[in-house]
Amino acid sequence: MAATKPSTATKPAAPAPLTWGPTGKHRLLNTRLPRVDFPYKTTGTAIYSHDVKVPGMLHGRILRSPYAHAKITSLDLSPAQKIPGVKAVVARVNAGATLRFEGDPIAAVAATTPEIADDAIHAIDVKYDVLPHAVTAEDAIKPDASPVFPNDQSVENNIRHANERGDADSVADALKSADVVVEAEYRTPTLHHCCLETHVVVVDYNGGDSATVYCSNQGTFSFPGDAAKALGLKRSNVTGVVHHMGGGFGSKMGIGIEGRLACELSKQLRAPVKIALERRDEFLMAGNGPGSWQKFRAGATRDGKLAAVHVEQYGLGGIGRGGLADQPYLYHAGVVYRTGGAIHTNEDSARPLRAPGHPPACFAMESLMDELAYKLGMDPVEFRKKNLTDDAHLRQLDRGAKEIGWIRRSGTPGATPGPLKRGFGCACGDWNGGGGPQCVVDLKIAQDGAVNVSSGSQDLGTGTRTYMVAIVAEELGLAMSDVKEEIGDTRLGNANLSGGSTTAGSLSPAVKVAALDAKSEIARLVAPLLGAKPEDLVFADRKVSANGKSLTWAQACAALPSGGIAVRGQWKPGLSSGGAHGACFAEVEVDTETGHVQVIRILDVQDCGFPLNRLAVESQINGGMVQGIGMALLEGRVMDAKLGVMVNSSFMDYKMPGCLEMPEEMLPLIDDDDPRQQVVGVGEPPSIPPAAAIANAVFNACGVRVRQLPITPDKILMGLAEKGALS
Amino acid sequence: MRDSKGKGAKESGYSRRRFLQGVGVAGVGALVAEHPLLRAAEAPSPLPDATDRAISGNIEIVLTINGQPRKVTVEPRTTLLNALRNNMDPPITGPKLVCDMGTCGGCTVLLDDKPVYGCLQLAIDVVGKKITTVEGIGTPERLSPVQAAFGEHDAMMCGFCTDGFVTSITGLLKANPNPTEQEVREACKGNFCRCGTYPRIFQAALEAAKAR
Repeated sequence: MAATKPSTATKPAAPAPLTWGPTGKHRLLNTRLPRVDFPYKTTGTAIYSHDVKVPGMLHGRILRSPYAHAKITSLDLSPAQKIPGVKAVVARVNAGATLRFEGDPIAAVAATTPEIADDAIHAIDVKYDVLPHAVTAEDAIKPDASPVFPNDQSVENNIRHANERGDADSVADALKSADVVVEAEYRTPTLHHCCLETHVVVVDYNGGDSATVYCSNQGTFSFPGDAAKALGLKRSNVTGVVHHMGGGFGSKMGIGIEGRLACELSKQLRAPVKIALERRDEFLMAGNGPGSWQKFRAGATRDGKLAAVHVEQYGLGGIGRGGLADQPYLYHAGVVYRTGGAIHTNEDSARPLRAPGHPPACFAMESLMDELAYKLGMDPVEFRKKNLTDDAHLRQLDRGAKEIGWIRRSGTPGATPGPLKRGFGCACGDWNGGGGPQCVVDLKIAQDGAVNVSSGSQDLGTGTRTYMVAIVAEELGLAMSDVKEEIGDTRLGNANLSGGSTTAGSLSPAVKVAALDAKSEIARLVAPLLGAKPEDLVFADRKVSANGKSLTWAQACAALPSGGIAVRGQWKPGLSSGGAHGACFAEVEVDTETGHVQVIRILDVQDCGFPLNRLAVESQINGGMVQGIGMALLEGRVMDAKLGVMVNSSFMDYKMPGCLEMPEEMLPLIDDDDPRQQVVGVGEPPSIPPAAAIANAVFNACGVRVRQLPITPDKILMGLAEKGALS
Repeated sequence: MRDSKGKGAKESGYSRRRFLQGVGVAGVGALVAEHPLLRAAEAPSPLPDATDRAISGNIEIVLTINGQPRKVTVEPRTTLLNALRNNMDPPITGPKLVCDMGTCGGCTVLLDDKPVYGCLQLAIDVVGKKITTVEGIGTPERLSPVQAAFGEHDAMMCGFCTDGFVTSITGLLKANPNPTEQEVREACKGNFCRCGTYPRIFQAALEAAKAR
């Protein structure tokens, strides 16, 4: 019937969109909230998957390929099986199989102790026919290189070409008429997630028709299906648990090979098996952030406009692809021609790493913009502002420049007298993020006033638990300590996996909806006691009040049914949004005698819509800057091209930022001029621009443009030598 | 590796276990001779291969952890960290296994009040010493000033490094109750945090020093 009428006439008035309420009026949200699980995380009582110990649990270990490319000619598990304490040995591959990278898993064992499991791995007898390999992009694209995917028609000379975009001829023409042209190649190495908790799975299965799987994972619901398949159980009979997890950064989604092997061992033994990757395993077979090789020809006109960009972008993802954000990244250019793809090598597959594809694209483009600005003789901030497309970045560049004291910067690189040279740099980044209808939140309020909010979601260290509690406490007028939370269990409501900075944007609206519904329900039951209408009740200070009368929270809840009330919240639009923008500024000091670079001061201006917890958002921004320092100055996988193996597969040799690399000052700045009153997740965005900002500051300090990360002292000294500036 | 009496390596080959046994005798002979286990009359079980003084197989020892004597069965090669995490019931899991080679500080414990890496200590070497793990520094109900300051300053994210940092800073404050920020940075330079909470860890340490 309705369909026959004009839709405009019958449409009911749209309900008022949900909001987080007026800015500045919140008691808990948008303030600085200590995380609710800190008493556990600081006392060793937070239980991570690594810490799970179930009765009869055996310890697993994985045997990995020592070669980048080899064929197994024979595989004898029996020496391992004979060791006392070894309970099971399973092969992942058989004789005849080809191993495609150092670390490619071959077999797994389960034993009564990790030490015995280690013995067993060493006892397995494998014979190999070692094959030619390519573990660097340069080697991989040589005409006589060994093919990584010999049977894949879409790979040519180890290059998997992406579609071309734009017209190369019109770019060539535009470059001819540009006032300045920069031709440059930028390279970033393969990075490692280096989660302090390595990938770990505990399969609690003792035979029978059900199992519980504890896994350090970014998605509680992302692994039980695979576990069920491997165990031969019904999906609904496998419970997934992720109570606390020690970092993911993109590397922990799904069950993984280690998880499947643990399930296989557990199934065979009808006993619980734990496989925790060793640190070296983690480097070799648990993913990495892909390297990049980006070649530009770009031109700008004297008025500061980016006129033309010709770019070849290659992701270096090993046997994976390693996607990159499309150039010219945030900038508008007159004409653009883009080509590239992936260059395959005999290395483990890349996985997403915090803002996948963005930090390498940002480093290249923001370095290029800097080079063009210097060639034009234009302030790099002004040059950027002429070519950016989003007002948020313009605002953030102004704020960042003011906060860092950009005015102190000399336009002449290396202008500081003496060997210690200071310089300033900046860069911008963006990320989509957002949220959607994926989370189910249960909120229960008992007759004695106990409040419990739950969802199967997970807390990677992002503060999920804390904002769940804060949203409920804010709405019901309670203290944080009045609300208990429960997460990380597939017996709870569905939730999306934490990837792409989408958890807060998907989960927080569902919590808010649940809290609003619970509040309405309580108001309906309590209003008669106060002689008021439900909509007139005020929830504040642990009381429910109306007409000058009030009930304590406990008195109010006494009006609930004996079983309390339970409501279920799901995502609704209006409370979250995508689109995060940031700008980073760095001040560095380069020692031109040693080549050492120290970041002195760094700041990241980051918008996040409505900040649920300012303390947690600032911690995310700090984290992004710290990882950016690592990417800029320290980190990178180093391969031995001849032997085909990684030479720095430990924390001794793979350098991460530590206490001594920290700047004198770090400023995590929330962009409160963001007019959006919606939650925008910022797990990833703050990690995008810092490396580029630091690289640009290094150039401003000493006049050396390092186009290949990390900026190690040798590259600075070589650069100074080439300029004839080595003292 | 062969020990002084030509034992220790089997014809069948070479394993890390055998290697460590060998080291236990040939490499650290002096240590073994003076080892508390060898002196302890109350050692619960005789040492295997006692004739050539090699230590191998399982040994029951008593460790003093957070003020409590705890019996634990270990192999000579078992690290203190693995003894705490794997060989005890209930396990002590505050110290985390992260790198297992003394680079990251996730397994920091106090040995006679000094911070050490649990993965670089053999369990048999710390018999008779006072071992304090993060669990012995405070509890959720009775947080130490360091633990409380970590919470207030959000000096943790995923929390996997936190136990090690709390322990390192607790050790620092025992030795130096009023450190400068530079001294805090030096004291924690053996601890990694991948989430990047360092600035707040420094703040928390200085705050805790004030609160003590």
